[in-house]
Amino acid sequence: MKLRRQALLTEPPASATSDIAFILIIFFLVCASIQEDDGRPQEIPNSDKERQSKNPIRVGLERDHIKLNGEVMAMQVFEKKLATLLDQKVNEAEKTVAVRCGPTVPYGRWMEVTALIEDSGGTITLMRKVQ
Amino acid sequence: MILQRRKMNAEVPSMAMGDIAFLLLIFFIILARVTDDSHVKVNKASGEELEKPKSKRVSVAIDTNQITYLNGVRINPDTITAALYQPDAPPGQQGLLGELPPGQRTVLLKIDKDTPAYLFEPVIEAVSKAGGELHHVLEEKK
Repeated sequence: MKLRRQALLTEPPASATSDIAFILIIFFLVCASIQEDDGRPQEIPNSDKERQSKNPIRVGLERDHIKLNGEVMAMQVFEKKLATLLDQKVNEAEKTVAVRCGPTVPYGRWMEVTALIEDSGGTITLMRKVQ
Repeated sequence: MILQRRKMNAEVPSMAMGDIAFLLLIFFIILARVTDDSHVKVNKASGEELEKPKSKRVSVAIDTNQITYLNGVRINPDTITAALYQPDAPPGQQGLLGELPPGQRTVLLKIDKDTPAYLFEPVIEAVSKAGGELHHVLEEKK
């Protein structure tokens, strides 16, 4: 009589599979979902008339040029003249800079100019054509 | 002679546990992604001296296709102010910013750098009108 050898159990232990899957998924999730939200805070005052300056500094922003109080100038000149103008203002209300922006000006350029105004000490208000 | 009773094998089959855990996780991930805006593609504008936002509760985005999103959900830009704050509504229904105190009313603005002013200025104005504190999400200037 031939005795049959019992087949060896060759299955790997499966109880840890769920833990491994869980840790792998957490790892990939963390890698994928880290989004940098660093940026710049910006204060744009509401239309409170008491806070509005009667004679603000006017900036006209277009795709290819910039105007300060109606005068077209290069960016470096603009930066210096704006700083000089803001230094001459005494109180905060007078440091209001009204920005009128052309409709096709890209956000990147707008952000660059408004950041420059804020860094020079100005407070931005937006001037838009009411449609 | 006493015959010993063979012990019963009462282990719970654990082969399927991995699959179940995996499916549950996928389910919760999909649910969670509905409320975020990581699927919105934006080429960030650059800036200097960047700061971390005070709160990440609300975000408004304009993507590369010039579509506007509020917390990852497509929205008509004209309805942003109402979605953020409705002072006349009953408590609890006053919008995403609701009665949050100043300092916690941060609205993240994720706007594609090539978006024209006629699209992003109304959005900025709407957030400002709702009493939101603007935080432009940018990348560090190289």
